[in-house]
Amino acid sequence: MQSPYVLIGNSAAALAAIDGIRRVDRVGKIIVLNREHGPAYSRVALPYFVAGEMTLEDLLIRQRVDYERLGVELMEEAAVTGIDAAARQVQLADGRKIGFGKLLIASGSTCVVPPIRGLDSVPHHYLWTLDDARRMKAAAEKARTAVVIGGGFIGMLAAEALRKLDIRLSIVEMAPQLLPQLLDPEGGRLFAQAVFDEGVTLRLGSTVDAVGSKNGQVEVLLRGGGTLVADMVAVAAGVKPNLSCIAGGPCAASRGVLVDERMESDCVDIFAAGDVAEAKDFLSDERTIHAIWPTAVDQGRVAGTNMAGKKIAYPGSLGMNVVELFNVTLAELGRFREAPGDDVHLLAKAAGGLYRKVVVDRQGRIVGAMYLGDENGVAEMGVIHGMIKRNAPWREFADFKLPRFTYATTVHGRGRTVPVRAR
Amino acid sequence: MKQIVVHQEKCTACRECEVACSFAHEGVFVPALSRIRVNDFYEEQFYLPMTCVHCADAPCATVCPTVAIQKEPDGQILVHEDRCIGCKMCLLACPFGVMGFQPEVGVAQNCDLCRNIPEGPQCVQFCVPEALEYAEVETAAAATQKIYAATIQQSLSTQQ
Repeated sequence: MQSPYVLIGNSAAALAAIDGIRRVDRVGKIIVLNREHGPAYSRVALPYFVAGEMTLEDLLIRQRVDYERLGVELMEEAAVTGIDAAARQVQLADGRKIGFGKLLIASGSTCVVPPIRGLDSVPHHYLWTLDDARRMKAAAEKARTAVVIGGGFIGMLAAEALRKLDIRLSIVEMAPQLLPQLLDPEGGRLFAQAVFDEGVTLRLGSTVDAVGSKNGQVEVLLRGGGTLVADMVAVAAGVKPNLSCIAGGPCAASRGVLVDERMESDCVDIFAAGDVAEAKDFLSDERTIHAIWPTAVDQGRVAGTNMAGKKIAYPGSLGMNVVELFNVTLAELGRFREAPGDDVHLLAKAAGGLYRKVVVDRQGRIVGAMYLGDENGVAEMGVIHGMIKRNAPWREFADFKLPRFTYATTVHGRGRTVPVRAR
Repeated sequence: MKQIVVHQEKCTACRECEVACSFAHEGVFVPALSRIRVNDFYEEQFYLPMTCVHCADAPCATVCPTVAIQKEPDGQILVHEDRCIGCKMCLLACPFGVMGFQPEVGVAQNCDLCRNIPEGPQCVQFCVPEALEYAEVETAAAATQKIYAATIQQSLSTQQ
């Protein structure tokens, strides 16, 4: 079997690549190799499924007919074990070989399995794939207490889902704060308070030594003493690029597959996009991985367009995240943790806003921002996002003459920006 | 496509549009719930209503992880509330800050051009100074060009 376009993966990056290819080439056959089962689902929505707010059907972001309509063959349970660049073939686990004209590696990430003694011997749950979510949901239906190992993004999403099911939570995080990738220390402090106020047991700066079973429950032993006992354990120790398909070569990889600004690897006609690709960073121009949905979509689209023969360049990825957890909305953009030489501008606490911060580099351009509060401040972060992308100077934001408070803002507390401190 | 065209120079910041929008969609007269917002600079007497512009290549739709935001065949950017999980990625992606969020329902919302109301956009219907118009964008662009051309023409003839 062979096809001019073969895509390894079936999520954000691969779907965007289909879009990119079809903008240029309306007919060339596309094969999608999905190591899971079924049409694409939204990974971002999995916690909502665990919490019972969405059905399996709701999770699907493509139907089978969508693939057919676009001339895409979806091959399911098709795990790729190797790529032969010279023969232009990918090797599947079941022995089949698929020939390609252009190949996209969009295999995403896999969960990191933390080195915890006894982890294999007790039931524990990840929240990464649809199957993970199914298992977690089934376990949560029978549980009244849970320990979440890892207070990062996925860990907190799992915690939020379990909280909605009225499960009593304990969260263990290695870093001295929650969400170390998403929040600066002050943001982490404010957020931890909100989590604590919900009655969650927090163990920050703690590592798990071992886990074991005890009377049908799971026992979590912390390093340096302390034990947590619960009905179920969720593990979220981060994710790493899924490089299994290039284990035997051929493309150069560091943490992820190294790609140029057309998303092409060092092997001609082999591209990579999404969590698995190490691509240009918008702010530093160095290569990095932002394992987030928006980056996967942008990179996938650029890769697809280039695969179909139209040359376009990727402007670089910018970290961005927004999530509502424990009744707090948090959002971050770019380099929100200041580096030496950066200026930090704290903005006034508007109604409903807990913490708002803009980071400005030596040249005076806005490079990052962070927000904690209610949902009203997020639209403003969108405007800042646009400003970062066009290298806007801080002056533009600071001198920006903002509309006066309107009836709507005064009565209903819709957020507004009032810069109060500028160094 | 037809969309809401703003004639900024005619706006008086009376906020009828906000009230009409809120009533049409939520059944209450609460400007804060409006999907169109009048930005006011009273000292300069400059008022600018802003709402979703239904971008051709909309960042909100591109970024939406549950394909809840889609471009309809008529060009409208529509939030399918039943698919929206309220993640707010669209708010973070919109460079104009015009994507809104309904905390009560937990979904994103933008101007839907009053697609379910036969009379068309209510903000336009109730705009007394006629600062809002529901028009084909191409026609509106041509009209705007004429206005600016006329302004330049006038200023040049005054100089002479």
